[in-house]
Amino acid sequence: MIRLILSRIGLGLLTLLAVSVVIFVLTQILPGDVASSVLGQSATPETLAAYRHELGLDRPAVVRYFVWLAGVLHGDFGTALTNGQNIIEVLWPRLRNTLFLAGYAALLALPLAVGFGILSAIREGRLTDRLANIVALLAISMPEFFVGYLLILNLSVNHEWFPSLATVGADTPFGERVWAVTLPAVTLTFLVTAHMLRMTRNSVLSTMSTAYVEMAFLKGLSRARVVTRHALPNAAAPIISVIALNLAYLVVGVVVVENVFTYPGVGQYMIDAVTKRDVPVIEACGIVFAAVFITLNTLADVTAIVLNPRLRHPR
Amino acid sequence: MTLFGHKLPVTALLGLFIIVLNIAVAVAGPYLAPYGETQVVGGGWDPASAATWFGTDQIGRDMFTRLIYGARMTIGIAFVTTILSFAIGISTGLLAAVTGRWVDTLLSRAVDVVLSIPLLIWALMILNVLGQSLFSLVLTIGCLDSTRVFRLARALGIGLVSLDFVEVARMRGEGLGWVMRREILPNAAAPLMSEFGLRFCFNFLFIAALSFLGLGVPLPYADWGGMVKDNVGGISFGLPAALYPAAAIALLTVGINLVVDWFLSIDARPSGAQAEM
Amino acid sequence: MTEDRSHLSARTGLVLDRRDLMTSAAALGLAFGALGGPALAEDAPKKGGTLRLGMEGGSASDSLDPRTYADSVPIDYGYQIFNGMVEIGDNGEAVGELLESWETKPGATEWVFNVRKGITFHSGKTLDADDIVYSLNLHRGDTKSAAKDLLSAISDVKKLGPNQIGITLSTGNADLPYNLSDYHVLVVPNGFTNWAKPDGTGAYALESFEPGVRVLTKNTGHYWKPNRAWYDSVELRYIPDAAARSQALISGQVDAVNRLDPKTVGFLMKSPKVSVVQTKGTGNRFAFVALCDDPSYTSNDARMALKYGIDRQKIIDTVYKGFAQVGNDTTISPASPYFAQNTPPHTYDPDRAASLYKKAGSPKFRLQVSEGAFSGATDAGVLYQEALKKAGIDLEVVRVSGDGYWSNVWLKAPFCAVYWGGRPTVDLQLSQTFISTANWNDTHWRDPAFDKIVTEARVELDDAKRKQMYAEAQHLIADNAGMVCFAVGDYLDGYAKKIRGAKPHPRYDLCDQRVAEKTWFA
Repeated sequence: MIRLILSRIGLGLLTLLAVSVVIFVLTQILPGDVASSVLGQSATPETLAAYRHELGLDRPAVVRYFVWLAGVLHGDFGTALTNGQNIIEVLWPRLRNTLFLAGYAALLALPLAVGFGILSAIREGRLTDRLANIVALLAISMPEFFVGYLLILNLSVNHEWFPSLATVGADTPFGERVWAVTLPAVTLTFLVTAHMLRMTRNSVLSTMSTAYVEMAFLKGLSRARVVTRHALPNAAAPIISVIALNLAYLVVGVVVVENVFTYPGVGQYMIDAVTKRDVPVIEACGIVFAAVFITLNTLADVTAIVLNPRLRHPR
Repeated sequence: MTLFGHKLPVTALLGLFIIVLNIAVAVAGPYLAPYGETQVVGGGWDPASAATWFGTDQIGRDMFTRLIYGARMTIGIAFVTTILSFAIGISTGLLAAVTGRWVDTLLSRAVDVVLSIPLLIWALMILNVLGQSLFSLVLTIGCLDSTRVFRLARALGIGLVSLDFVEVARMRGEGLGWVMRREILPNAAAPLMSEFGLRFCFNFLFIAALSFLGLGVPLPYADWGGMVKDNVGGISFGLPAALYPAAAIALLTVGINLVVDWFLSIDARPSGAQAEM
Repeated sequence: MTEDRSHLSARTGLVLDRRDLMTSAAALGLAFGALGGPALAEDAPKKGGTLRLGMEGGSASDSLDPRTYADSVPIDYGYQIFNGMVEIGDNGEAVGELLESWETKPGATEWVFNVRKGITFHSGKTLDADDIVYSLNLHRGDTKSAAKDLLSAISDVKKLGPNQIGITLSTGNADLPYNLSDYHVLVVPNGFTNWAKPDGTGAYALESFEPGVRVLTKNTGHYWKPNRAWYDSVELRYIPDAAARSQALISGQVDAVNRLDPKTVGFLMKSPKVSVVQTKGTGNRFAFVALCDDPSYTSNDARMALKYGIDRQKIIDTVYKGFAQVGNDTTISPASPYFAQNTPPHTYDPDRAASLYKKAGSPKFRLQVSEGAFSGATDAGVLYQEALKKAGIDLEVVRVSGDGYWSNVWLKAPFCAVYWGGRPTVDLQLSQTFISTANWNDTHWRDPAFDKIVTEARVELDDAKRKQMYAEAQHLIADNAGMVCFAVGDYLDGYAKKIRGAKPHPRYDLCDQRVAEKTWFA
């Protein structure tokens, strides 16, 4: 078991390395560089050359990558090429924001999804089931920015209950932060609930035809009891795996929601860095995203293995 | 009412109707549309009238016409990208499951690399390198999306590979491809189909998100996702233009998934553990 | 100031003071519209409060180093923290800022500037000529500065005394003070390099800098300009999404926003909580530029077909909802007093476009547009395509990513969208874009006759003659160059009703990006 976890961590680190290489190669293929992107319309060949020299972009790409990697191995992610800010110092509060939003949305979405998923399974084929299904489908079928604008229109323009701007700073008190981030969190809830709900329902139902569940029915237990006591524990592994995937999505996939609500998260930071070709920042954001993603997945995998004896002994 | 010998519930009937309607509109689009796809018939965001049933879009094109043409572009692109992503995802996913060991590790880590960066950022970078065309758009979305299908297919594959009938086939000396095609795929079909219904819709939502970054379906063609984005600015002022394409997307999503759900319920075994990864 | 300068003019025999002209520019060009309700009343200014700005035009990669400023947000916080050398007044004239006054000799190559006395930086240092020389040299020689090209004619800067500097130009330019009003040219202490902790003479000192999120500044309490800088502090928030900006304004989360979406500004005007300030025809020049040396556009008939084949009014009405003025294929705004009134306008004429197109041999047209070029570019491109279709001309419109647009598409694509910002003088406006050797000659149009006119007009001091020359220059551009400049946008700022003192400005929006020092709360 411990060997398995250790090998997972090793693989995770390798994946991080691969992420950094892939990002670096892509940024090198991308047309333009940080100098031409910052100077934009007012660039001239001389100013570009001066800018590149100042940033050391006139060194070979391979050298720049390894200098960067050496820095990271010493815990130094360097400074942004565009404005010389210390990347860790900028990234850390943004990461906290991203995780806060993801956590908030997860708190809303998880009980909703799992609760209604189980309810749907209990009442399979009946009105509750169908209604939950259709509502969930409607929720995911709307583009996230559209949901965002609808919420803003109703809850912050027509009724000034929540702010439309979710700009929070390090000094924002917790209560105010929760209030400010409510609309984006609800928007994200729309996005992820359906997936988890359907997963929960289907996973539970898939265990319903197993012998021990039939046995439980034969014992004369009620459907609700069979579902919650017998089917659900056995369906936990795939549910956890989907929850992990959706949690990862809440962290990694929220660029558009950040944009609509002007929320200072990592996604917008990374987009800005990509458009300005600020390679160290792109790398740092990429690694942070990848680390979160890999951690969540590894956790899910390990949990699944712990819960499922068949997977504990792979071929 | 029955279809293929199975009883058709009301929801499935409704879903089927929605799909048939959409396909009909997509095919017959040019004959149904009152105006040309790019024809400007009024001012920006004119209200609905007898001439323009749903009003006009942000630059004065007939919303109804754009919706009809949009069906063709949206469904077409979503269909092609989804097929592409399933072709790539299923073949690599099952391969990883069947061969196991280092092929599996390599493919899985590669997929992790892709999944760990926001898809939008991948798309931004890749489309910048490839240049923007319908072809590169479909290719990019298809490839990026295939990583999700890969995970599902691999998970399903691993579950099936250890089952008796697959092991028997392998012991018989059947080739890798044969086992994947003849033994595993048919048994993984139900959850894959369920996934297809969702991914299909996610793909045009993804195109809509791309338009946030100035990417998307080439001009001047109509696609529902892009239409929502183009018109969404009016929402805050009570202009309904963006509601129509959004409703079209929602309707089709629900329709497809109602039918998918019915397919799944026909199958004796419910959709399976990894049904919607 | 005015007395100073008329005195100078009299002594040097030069008519440097083009104040009268600029006043007429203001009269022509500006429609002061507090369109959302009663005009912003000009009651007595009051101290206090935090101004909350919501702005587009910046990103997480913004820097405090003025050499890299490229968009509205940096310009705005730049003017909060620093001062420029020369300010542009409300009616377009160059007014002394940290350079108090100036004089020049005939030929306008030798200049003397007087540095304002008694000014202190936030650090406590007193401003002197060395600071000015250093700040100017940031943009000269081996530099990354975006203002390098603008100041390239400066061959020498020297200190003449503790509060006086001399500037020598390689070619005469009577408009030098206007060049020095550029937003990159901000003043820092001599030898200053620590851009993370900026030291300026501005009204507000930096409190916290979170690019892409917000910038906080605090009033230093001892600003040198009389009747300016009323707020205790300023919070500038980045709100890149236009809809989010107007919602934030309506719901009272910010007090002022820039770049309102013309499509929805009409609704915003109806809101009782908001005033809209519109500055007519001084905004960005929206254009499609064709490279004259590209096979498709070498024939002037082809280029003229493009100019007659665009329905300018239609684009302005639909894309900009009327909040733009018709452009006539040069970057000179119709609102400018130097606008060539006698150049026949290229109004939409499909038949003429069709015959010109045939004469040119029916070349293939392919236009690249992007929202990264300017907002509305894609919609304008689509309408252009429709208009040309009526002339039987097939225009392929390709949308490209806004990311990397200026480095990858502009100046490279044979036909693409571009905007040109307003420049304080006609000379800058024309010579940066259309002179044969200009770095940013985005039409590759090269005409020695045009170059000669512009160079001569630069030192021509008889204004009637100068006007004549500029008219001729515009005529040459409009009828020959590859630029289809179809509209000049209006600036649309939104203010909360409680804001006073907000006025349109002939250069930039939000009171020339000096909203933090010019306005106050009622």
